[in-house]
Amino acid sequence: MDGYFYAVLAVGLISTIICVVAGIMKKAPNDITIFSVLAVEAVLLVYLIGSIVRVALGEHMAGEAWEFWGYLATALMIPPAAVYWSILERTRWSNFVLGAVGVTALVMAARMNQIWY
Amino acid sequence: MTAIEAQGAKRDTRNTGPGRLLIAVYAVFALSATARAGYQIATKFSEAPLAHILSAFAALVYVVATVSLAKPGRTWFRVSLAAVLVELVGVLVVGAVSLFDPVAFPHDTVWSLFGRGYGFVPLVLPVLGLLWLNRRRPAKAAAP
Repeated sequence: MDGYFYAVLAVGLISTIICVVAGIMKKAPNDITIFSVLAVEAVLLVYLIGSIVRVALGEHMAGEAWEFWGYLATALMIPPAAVYWSILERTRWSNFVLGAVGVTALVMAARMNQIWY
Repeated sequence: MTAIEAQGAKRDTRNTGPGRLLIAVYAVFALSATARAGYQIATKFSEAPLAHILSAFAALVYVVATVSLAKPGRTWFRVSLAAVLVELVGVLVVGAVSLFDPVAFPHDTVWSLFGRGYGFVPLVLPVLGLLWLNRRRPAKAAAP
């Protein structure tokens, strides 16, 4: 597990906790919960750029390259999709949808780390 | 559409409130199961054809469940019910078989060991799906 994984782990867990607590408090998605999900997207973008740099510098991943990039591309689509889905119907349940993003991202980051090393 | 029809249409949808969370989780599973099955079939199909066909079948069930839950109307309700029931039977049967006969059954589908590889979400999901479908059952009085 590398720094990218721990960054996704930290930001993902914080985002999930914020969104789930907001959902339990019967709040609709607001700036805080949406920004916490966008923070997950930002960390994933850093992961993407960092990984491109590492490959460009000649580093080789242990697993299948296209599997790694497939995971990363999919993970990058999840936060925007969840934000879109949550603002179509602004109820407390949409915060639970947003809360699922952080956990999903960290599971995918764990898998991406397994593929890389 | 008249106001009454609109109200009826609103009642006859599963795509609202907790249903939207359910659909989102189903969508994630549809995506990951499809990607996983596609990957298995593309790279190592001959190693265990049965398990990989089962993976593809599970992926299809999740896709059908996701789409049908998002659609309004009684027909889609029935499709959802069928998909969720198939999913429940699938996770129970595949889970049990993979537990009792791990040699004949490689642990490599979403439903193996009752979905342990996915935090048992595949086991909980159909139960929540059935509860939600029961709560949003189309009204009998609305029959044409």
